[in-house]
Amino acid sequence: MRLNHLARRTGFAVGGALALALVTAPAAVAQDTAAVYVVHGVPDTPVDVYVDGQRAIDDFQPGTEQGPVDLPAGSHKVDLFPADAADGSGTPVLSANADLPAGGSFTLVAHLDASGNPKITPFENDVSSVPAGQARLVVRHTAAAPAVDVLAGGKPVVQGLSNGDQKALEVPAGSVSAAVAAAGTTDPVIGPADVDLQEGTATFVHAIGKLDGGKLELVSFTVSDLHGSPSGVPSGAPSGAPAEGAPAWLLVSTVAGLAVVAVSASRLRSATRR
Amino acid sequence: MSAASAPDRKGRSGALAGLVAGLSLVLVPASVWAADAVSPVAPAPTPPAAARAVVVPLPEPAEPAEPAAPAPPARIRLPALGVDAPVAPVGVDDRGRMDVPLDIATVGWYRFGPGPGATAGSAVLSGHVDDREQGYGAFHRLADLAPGDPVTVDLADGGAVAYRVETVTRFRKADLPVTDVFARTGQPRLTLVTCGGPFDYTARGYTENVVVVARPDAP
Repeated sequence: MRLNHLARRTGFAVGGALALALVTAPAAVAQDTAAVYVVHGVPDTPVDVYVDGQRAIDDFQPGTEQGPVDLPAGSHKVDLFPADAADGSGTPVLSANADLPAGGSFTLVAHLDASGNPKITPFENDVSSVPAGQARLVVRHTAAAPAVDVLAGGKPVVQGLSNGDQKALEVPAGSVSAAVAAAGTTDPVIGPADVDLQEGTATFVHAIGKLDGGKLELVSFTVSDLHGSPSGVPSGAPSGAPAEGAPAWLLVSTVAGLAVVAVSASRLRSATRR
Repeated sequence: MSAASAPDRKGRSGALAGLVAGLSLVLVPASVWAADAVSPVAPAPTPPAAARAVVVPLPEPAEPAEPAAPAPPARIRLPALGVDAPVAPVGVDDRGRMDVPLDIATVGWYRFGPGPGATAGSAVLSGHVDDREQGYGAFHRLADLAPGDPVTVDLADGGAVAYRVETVTRFRKADLPVTDVFARTGQPRLTLVTCGGPFDYTARGYTENVVVVARPDAP
């Protein structure tokens, strides 16, 4: 049920109900709004999402994400109701107040805390420019599980990430074999899986679910067009010396000239002395 | 004795002449070379105002449904310079600069940016000037291109994109407008980059970049 709201920054398609709710906001310029993504990481609990009392997402399934939508900057009340609730008038499953500064990018993650209780955690998304040739990988621990390490190619690149934490890495663009293991171990509890990290993108990966019963999974989304420019173009001489630097004819001429000078000077001296 | 004997005078003037000749052998070529090395900067073929900007910032085009990227470039032809060189995709080096192929006969295409034939932005090709070990590079005479000169880029799928040179500009390396050179938006263009200006033997590199901007040839 992805509909037609195209977000400028990423081209992500967004749930229609959410788009509708946001259209009611004045056609604000980017400076007056914040970009918001939502991730559903509470297992077995489809929900309806209400923003400021209006239904924004109908039947939001666990293990999925939606966004971005531009919300007016400021404080918003977000309520999650069971997906079969008639409206937003009862007692929500979860509630949160999101205070969104203008121009920011945020993810609201509904997830389990370390001991398995549902909660909503807001994360700020680092969507700043990525250095040329690189990709940003942001990992978030939002699962009912102890601290974890994130492995790339079997080696830990993030260590001791706890529930509610995030960590950003900038890595050379390309495919990386990623896995999640209990902190201090290299035995994957998720993955390994090949992740294609395109140049100039930021990929936000959320570990969700719970370790007990092996119900851990990943939900991710990618923000594109964050390219940085190369810092220069070193198109000179790869060996460090130019073909024309101090050319051969100059050296020959110099040596010959010095020889003539030396001979002439000695002749001059002997002629004068005579 | 008021004067040297005739043979002596002759010997001395001959020696003097030799001295002058020898010194001129040493000094004149060196000064010519030095002048050659530093003179050419003249950013001056002052292009007409409209053409002066290396890159014209344009409003972002309305985002269409992601047009398919063109096939990667395979060769570049600069008939005005007699250049017909292979093109290889390159990324960045460990200092975040655009990579340039080690083989100076090969031209590099910045594969993270637009390709020739893309609907927007700057496709960047870079080639070396020259090298003591390899001789002259594919872009050795890039600065000799003039507005209006044709440029053709052959694509890997057999297609080709025709351009005409619009501007030829020199920048001190530190002043290279990288956000313009590597822009992803604005009218489609081809940007050719090489080095120029004096060679800095301490930094082991040229001190300037030569930047040629070409626009797609009117169909």
